[in-house]
Amino acid sequence: MTCGVARRRICGGVRMLLEAHNVAKAFGSFWAVAGADLAVEEGEIVGLIGPNGAGKSTFFNCLAGDTLPTSGRILFDGIDVTRATPEAHARAGIGRTFQVPTTFEDMSVLDNVMVGAFLRHPHRGDAREHALRIVELTGLRPDQPGRSLGTPGRKRLGIARVLATEPRLLLLDEALAGLTPGELREAIALVRRIQETGVTIVIVEHIMEVIMTLTRRVLVFNQGKVIAGGTPEQVVKDEAVIEAYLGRGARSHSRESGNP
Amino acid sequence: MGRGLAEQSMVFVQVIVGGLLLGAIYALFSSGLTLIWGMMNFINFAHGEFVMLGMYAALLVVLYVGGGPVAFGAAAALALFGLGVVIYLALIRHVVRGPMLSQILSTFGLALLLRYTAFFVFSANFVSLPQTSLSGTLDLGGIFLPVAQLVAGVTAIVLTIALHVLLTHTTIGSRLLAVAEDRGAAMLMGIRPDRMQALAWGLSAGAAGIAGALLATAYPWSPTVGETFGLIAFVTVALGGFGSVLGSLYAGLIIGLIQAISAYWLGAIYKDIVVYGLFVGLLWLRPQGLMGKA
Amino acid sequence: MKYLFFPPTGVCCLAAALLLFPMVFSDAFYRDIGVAFLLAAISASAWNIVGGYAGQVSVGHSMFFGLGAYAPLFCYTQWGWPPLAGIPVGIVLSVALAVVIGLPTFRLSGHYFSMATIAVAELIRIFFGTWALVGGAVGLQGPAVARGWWDLTFRGDLAYYYIFLAVLGLLLFVTFEIGRRRFGFYLRAIKASERAARSLGVPVRLTKLKALALSATFTSAAGSLYAVKTGFIDPDSGFGILVSVQMLIVAALGGAGTLFGPLIGALILIPLQTAANTWFGGSGSGLTFILYGGIIVLIARFEPGGLHDLWRRAAPHLWGRAHAA
Repeated sequence: MTCGVARRRICGGVRMLLEAHNVAKAFGSFWAVAGADLAVEEGEIVGLIGPNGAGKSTFFNCLAGDTLPTSGRILFDGIDVTRATPEAHARAGIGRTFQVPTTFEDMSVLDNVMVGAFLRHPHRGDAREHALRIVELTGLRPDQPGRSLGTPGRKRLGIARVLATEPRLLLLDEALAGLTPGELREAIALVRRIQETGVTIVIVEHIMEVIMTLTRRVLVFNQGKVIAGGTPEQVVKDEAVIEAYLGRGARSHSRESGNP
Repeated sequence: MGRGLAEQSMVFVQVIVGGLLLGAIYALFSSGLTLIWGMMNFINFAHGEFVMLGMYAALLVVLYVGGGPVAFGAAAALALFGLGVVIYLALIRHVVRGPMLSQILSTFGLALLLRYTAFFVFSANFVSLPQTSLSGTLDLGGIFLPVAQLVAGVTAIVLTIALHVLLTHTTIGSRLLAVAEDRGAAMLMGIRPDRMQALAWGLSAGAAGIAGALLATAYPWSPTVGETFGLIAFVTVALGGFGSVLGSLYAGLIIGLIQAISAYWLGAIYKDIVVYGLFVGLLWLRPQGLMGKA
Repeated sequence: MKYLFFPPTGVCCLAAALLLFPMVFSDAFYRDIGVAFLLAAISASAWNIVGGYAGQVSVGHSMFFGLGAYAPLFCYTQWGWPPLAGIPVGIVLSVALAVVIGLPTFRLSGHYFSMATIAVAELIRIFFGTWALVGGAVGLQGPAVARGWWDLTFRGDLAYYYIFLAVLGLLLFVTFEIGRRRFGFYLRAIKASERAARSLGVPVRLTKLKALALSATFTSAAGSLYAVKTGFIDPDSGFGILVSVQMLIVAALGGAGTLFGPLIGALILIPLQTAANTWFGGSGSGLTFILYGGIIVLIARFEPGGLHDLWRRAAPHLWGRAHAA
């Protein structure tokens, strides 16, 4: 899956696909994001974790173009996308899923995915073919009505739909929440398959199993800032992180579990 | 020439005062519309009909029960409050989470239903309230004001401010605002969103109803006025800002003023054109109005 | 073919029925209803593009209808043009108006658009009522006697019937084609979830504008056809709320967002309206409106998808019983 021309941005000898510099977002006098930085290499899977209210969702929405940052810069492959619309993001090659699935209820699974496919394939025939391939890849049934899907199916459809836009960067917003252990394993396998095709992934998650198994690098958010970063193993033992989740005094080695 | 100018300016002052007084009533019923928008992101296309029904409620009370302004004002308020709650429970709460088509069709269809039922019951003729204790005209230094207009306008301002105070300084008001702000969080705090929204609809319709009763004391009407008042409510809310009662107050006064001056300078037929034109202009240039959120 | 009401054979039967109708029912009364049906179907199908498919509910669509109705008659009374030449003028004006309304409102939530449509329609109606150039409250008239076929002034309804049928056929074809292509998918995506559509690269505002412009074009054409047939237009018959309501209810009743929904709606409502006028003595008594208002509320409350969805849900049960029996 390739799309667009690549103007690689070199940073310290390593190519950075996505960069965020001192991004901040204020709602009135409340700073949801207070200066967050991020650098994602092409081909990585990076995790974004943090307690509720830490600002990671707002930051995520800034990256996706849904929210306009109050200050700071966001660069995608060297191009400034700080103020770009969600549509422009999609065209540039940044795709995202939604925490609450936004299935096109009255359309079939295939039609849902075709909406995404039309971005790069304006003609119906091509779009349909491309969409069918994606539907197969994600293990869905093309003729199923959108509204008849359960939550796991909808989440999977959300991923299929955005995959059809051939993104270079995929932003997953708690795409694996609410799944049974079996479904979770399938979903993790799917995300891995997606990464293997060359898509860079940033994933916001609460489920530690996902973070530990999928990501090679994790950033921890708290109070609008990135307070720690590193491999999952490092981050889990980081004292600042434990304090963020469990408050002062909880110095013990504990893992956050379960869904919000 | 001197006397002509003095007379002309007297007339002009009269026009301005008349416009402001009418504008105050616009503010009152528009604050009901803006309340619903702020609460539920929902536009009630039948709001003008609530005002119209308030006017007829006043008429019925005067004709059959023989009450004074306080009586028919309260009756209109209560009747419309009840109607607002019923409409919410029977219709609105089912469509508010559905597709846009059913949201808009619901109150649009309701408007037709109410308007033409009124046509059927009351006929298309213009009516006005028979002599009430508010008849007569005051002479304030050369400016002639019908007592009814003055009382209606002042009452409207007081009630609009009262609504604002209710929303911002009372417990029940903060509960309403909590539901508007974040339904889920409000539920966690023990507030029942359904009840609050029903209350909001009652208040909204009640405000419209009282405004109607106030209008009835000073101006003649027919079932068609609902459509005009509905559009005026849109303009007022757009100018004042969707969700802001105080904004409706300022905007209502401004709209009343603009209408009166347009009628005076351009002719009565143009007063509505100017107001609707203002609405379109607002949408183009400043959809968030004076004080609200888009 | 998921969005058709009928399978292809049904469509052919329908087409045949429509073509043969005035031949079989040659009485002026029936032909009149036939023409009224076609006109209602055209208007509602035009509304359907922006209101049904794209989900942008216009409650003031009469503004396009009225412009389309006034244009040919104005060109005739002012400059002696054949009304036929005035039809494109109406379309250009309507598209311009569509852009003027759509540009500011389509970047805001759907309610703004709906409010704007009702305000603008009223604005134009009142304004035309005061404007002497377009006949004020009296309105305009068309050619009393035809100077040639281009005046489109025919005696009897037969010619009008087939012209209207051709326009309806064209409109349905255009709608069908749109539905299959990217534009149609984007419209439905916008209706279902604008936010999701944006995230997939759909140019939401531009797509809505195109839909409104297309809808305005055909609505204007419908208005032109109406004016040419009746030979008369005034502010109320052009820009009145009844015009807007009828378009909307015909589409919504049959099934907004489906290809044949407006047709089904017209099939039911036009005969109903004619009957109501006969029994209740015209819409002057307002009973037609009460009925319309009630139907709209019921549709909104119980079956926003109209008869199309109702049929979809009821049909399996009906077939089941038929097979069991």
